[in-house]
Amino acid sequence: MEKIGLYLGCNIPLKAPDVEQSFRKVFPVLGIEPVDLPGATCCPAWGTAPSFDRDTWCAISARNITIAEGLGVDIMTGCNSCFGIMSEAKHFLHDKATTERVNARLAEIGRKYQGTSDIYHVMHVLHDKVGCEKIRENLKYSLDGLTIAVQTGCHTLWPSDVYSTCEANPFYPVMLKELCEATGAAAPHYSRLESCCGMGGMRSTDAEKSLVIFRDKLMSMQEEIKPDIIVTACSSCYMQFDMSQPILKERGLIDFEPIPTLYYTQLLALAMGFDSSQVAAISQIDRSAIIKEIQSEKRLMKEVA
Amino acid sequence: MIIDQKKIDEAIETVIGYGGEHIRNCVQCGACSAVCPGVKAGFPLLCRSLIRQLLNGQLEEIIEDSSSWACQSCSRCTEICPRGVRPQEVVFAFRRYQANQLAFSTSSITSQMNLFQTGHAVFVDPKEARKKVGLPEEPPTSAYDEAAQKEIQTLINNSPMGELGLF
Amino acid sequence: MAKVGVYVCHCGTNIAGVIDVEAVRDYASGLPDVVIARKDLFMCSDSGQEMIKKDIKDGLVDRVVVAACTPRTHEPIFRAACEKAGLNKYLFEMANIRDQNSWVHGHDHAGATAKALKIVASAVGKARNLEPLEEKFVPVTDAALVIGGGIGGISAALELARMGHKTYLVEKEPSIGGVMAQLDKTFPTNDCSACILTPKMVEVYNHPNIVALTYSEVDDVSGYIGNFNVKVRRKQAYVDWVKCTGCGDCASKCPAKVPDRFNAGLSERRAAYIMFPQAVPKKAVIDIDNCLNCAGREIGTEPKVNAKTGKPILAPCEKACPAQAIDRSIAHDPQGEIVEIQVGSIVVATGFQVMEKDWFKEMAPASPNVITALQLERIISATGPSEGKLTRPSDHEKPHVISFLSCMGSRDEHFHSYCSRVCCMYMIKQARLLKEKYPDLVINMHFIDVRSAGKGYDEYYTGARAMGINIFKGKVGGLEMLPGDKLRVLAYDMEGATPIEYESDLVVLATAIELPGDAVSLAQKLGLQFCGSNFFRELHPKLGPVETAVEGLFLAGCCQGPKDIPDTVSQAKGAAAAAAVPLSQGQVKIEPIISEVHPEQCSGCGICAPLCPYHAISLDDYGGHPRAKIEMSACKGCGVCASACPSAAIVLHGYEDTQIFAQIEALTA
Repeated sequence: MEKIGLYLGCNIPLKAPDVEQSFRKVFPVLGIEPVDLPGATCCPAWGTAPSFDRDTWCAISARNITIAEGLGVDIMTGCNSCFGIMSEAKHFLHDKATTERVNARLAEIGRKYQGTSDIYHVMHVLHDKVGCEKIRENLKYSLDGLTIAVQTGCHTLWPSDVYSTCEANPFYPVMLKELCEATGAAAPHYSRLESCCGMGGMRSTDAEKSLVIFRDKLMSMQEEIKPDIIVTACSSCYMQFDMSQPILKERGLIDFEPIPTLYYTQLLALAMGFDSSQVAAISQIDRSAIIKEIQSEKRLMKEVA
Repeated sequence: MIIDQKKIDEAIETVIGYGGEHIRNCVQCGACSAVCPGVKAGFPLLCRSLIRQLLNGQLEEIIEDSSSWACQSCSRCTEICPRGVRPQEVVFAFRRYQANQLAFSTSSITSQMNLFQTGHAVFVDPKEARKKVGLPEEPPTSAYDEAAQKEIQTLINNSPMGELGLF
Repeated sequence: MAKVGVYVCHCGTNIAGVIDVEAVRDYASGLPDVVIARKDLFMCSDSGQEMIKKDIKDGLVDRVVVAACTPRTHEPIFRAACEKAGLNKYLFEMANIRDQNSWVHGHDHAGATAKALKIVASAVGKARNLEPLEEKFVPVTDAALVIGGGIGGISAALELARMGHKTYLVEKEPSIGGVMAQLDKTFPTNDCSACILTPKMVEVYNHPNIVALTYSEVDDVSGYIGNFNVKVRRKQAYVDWVKCTGCGDCASKCPAKVPDRFNAGLSERRAAYIMFPQAVPKKAVIDIDNCLNCAGREIGTEPKVNAKTGKPILAPCEKACPAQAIDRSIAHDPQGEIVEIQVGSIVVATGFQVMEKDWFKEMAPASPNVITALQLERIISATGPSEGKLTRPSDHEKPHVISFLSCMGSRDEHFHSYCSRVCCMYMIKQARLLKEKYPDLVINMHFIDVRSAGKGYDEYYTGARAMGINIFKGKVGGLEMLPGDKLRVLAYDMEGATPIEYESDLVVLATAIELPGDAVSLAQKLGLQFCGSNFFRELHPKLGPVETAVEGLFLAGCCQGPKDIPDTVSQAKGAAAAAAVPLSQGQVKIEPIISEVHPEQCSGCGICAPLCPYHAISLDDYGGHPRAKIEMSACKGCGVCASACPSAAIVLHGYEDTQIFAQIEALTA
């Protein structure tokens, strides 16, 4: 079984451990063994070291990467920000002078960045290493008839020149769409698919402004494809969709019920038959109806070996 | 506004020093601001307009503006910029200038403290939630790993961040 | 002993602003064999030249070194001065201390001055060893070749023909006309493109001095100014053009469908086709790569026979042809036919292509309603797929909101850093034509800035504003695909400093002009060079805009750089005038800086012959032994043979071993 370093970040292990649990359940079945990266810290988030000093950012990212290098594995993360930040740091570290300065700092904690571990997003591992065919083979329930609004998130798309893996057209991403379709569900395009959800620095700087663009995006989903579920592969988007829909509803800014939101591996874990109390247990929006629908008897496929 | 070449040079050199190397390539075409989520949400000084102000030498005049902290670093601007300005890096360079002058919101200090103490910018006690979903109460990260916390503290203390007197 | 005079030029401040000219002069005066070292503000001025002439006439110097700018522009001036004063002009040497020194080392005065000393010492070293050379003349073939049958090539060919020179016009498509034939109307006067172009096409085709070879490509070029030998491949049309009347019956019966390039891919043509209604010549061709070989009628095979009637079963195209111009039983050579022609000069007018929309990933290239401006040109043209009616590709309905996006691939470092020069104006033209015809249409145009430099151009642009066309300053950042094949435009209003979002029915991309891919192989055949923008390089951007580094080879139109129709025609007429010069003179000078074999030293190994890029070397009998022989008129003095010769039997005059070694010695001293 192929081993890969599971880089958790902050939000997933601390706020959304059901997403973490979904990784741990799904990947071994699909032939990938996630390996813990003990002592890994924040990537560091955009609002921390990257906002103060580029070398400090690179040093903290590089420290995380050295943990994987020590285990001889590549890195997989489920958080778009972590993927973006560590990929950009690695991009800066292609410059020899930067690497020398950063390694001087890492020497103080007895580490050295080598550049031997690649950085992948969970979505990349599922799409390119596992593949949609293998996902299909391991389903217990078919999601045929359900409509999914795909939320890829920004930091796997741009700037495409710093990522080792990227979409053929980053303005028209299809990886997550294809992964969703592998479950049997429909995942039609909607016009604002590639646009930002408003989470992150924008929400902490001015939550009201963040809600404006979030609503635009949500309305595009609802008016154009009327989804049963929103599925994302970004932990920040995941939290925005779960937190902010109820706010809009409460203020009367949307006239439909908040749409249940799942991280992709949660959707997959449910479709593979895992226990929802472990893989999809924590949310503000009530997801019990859609979970019940996904794991209903009528959707049972042939017994999974 | 008065055109003061000394101020213009100072603003541009400051931004270049903080990582906005390609600011001078900008021809003010506006494509970055056409797709910037922050500009769309109504933040006045992002992408094109921030670069214009900096090219005008208005560094100190805009130091208190919080727009740069609303940048999502989605880098859609960088992807489409026809001149290779990498506007997101200019926004972040200006943000670094602000941060090093301690011109940022107090709410942001919490993240820095969290990072310094636990290695996590976002920290909440996860034990109950983790137990609920069947995971070990302590994640295998720096959250409860003193050696790892010591490492991150050393890295931050020995960096320009450590000199700001935050920690 | 040579008596070398060194003359150092200030070139105003071009050189003196960086290099210490007096120090260079002083240093030169101490170099071996240097008898005089002088300086002047402008050595190329009358007074500077007089200084040189006087020193020669006074018998003071017999070798001249000028340390100044580039020999590319100024060597002829100083050589002429030497000649006038009675000195063989090849006893002159130039030291370039400007282009390769003061201009590039402006920040380092001391370093530039030190480099100048080396350059001057090297030139003096060579000058001491120079030998006088004599020029020779050869007769010229009084005919010209024009490559490319667009408006540039047509204009050049007509000009040459009117001057009385036989002119061959080679066009790769079945018809002449080029891109101009695809356009609807032309800015800023809104003349119908076909109406002004068609008479020119007919005139070219019927001119007694012009031989138009369409559906043809230049296969090989050898020779030199005055005497080029050109092999032209006439591509296989599979239709007898002598018999073909251009009725189009074959096309109407042909079942094979192919995207129609003349309609920019918006419609389909057949495998048997006539390029467009006003084609000149109006002849059909069969595009054999897409031919279905109906009725098993592979080219060169006998037809099957109908068992009942006993008649041969023919393919629809040959059956349809009332002139019996199509006979698939003939074993046509798929390679076509090679025609060899001799010409004295060549004009290259091969034109441009526009970028396809697929390059612009942020602009929803998958949407059928995102089109290039050339595609819109076909949509609004009366000969286009919708016969001039404005419809959008997705549903053939009339759009209500139409958007124009400038600078797609131009002024963009991912693609082309240059401005394509014509887009602002043709977009305004298209918008004006549409607004005139459909006043209720909402037209939004997005520019980084409007570039309208040209006679009557700015008035044309401001007139568009007055007509109610909305103009926004600011580049569009992206398009999003909406249900119903609409597009959401993500734009920006620079003046209002505000983002704009709106829905559009049809979006037109003004994609950049670039050199077509096949231009590279043509450049290799002709010895053309490319400029930084990847167009063909002219000899000098200001003073040699139609000439090239290859003597006798001239440029016209967009192959040299983006330009509009008036500029193309102007340049084409200029190129024709320049191409006519050697033809009118009747003879051309052969540069004496060419290679020569000393047969007594030659071992006859033959290494040199295949290396010569100009096929100038053959092995000839010399005292019973094979020895290399260089055809003087074909040699261009590149020196490849001289440097490769293992017996040092080949001399490149003007660059002899003693001269080169003296230069190296001076540079490494």
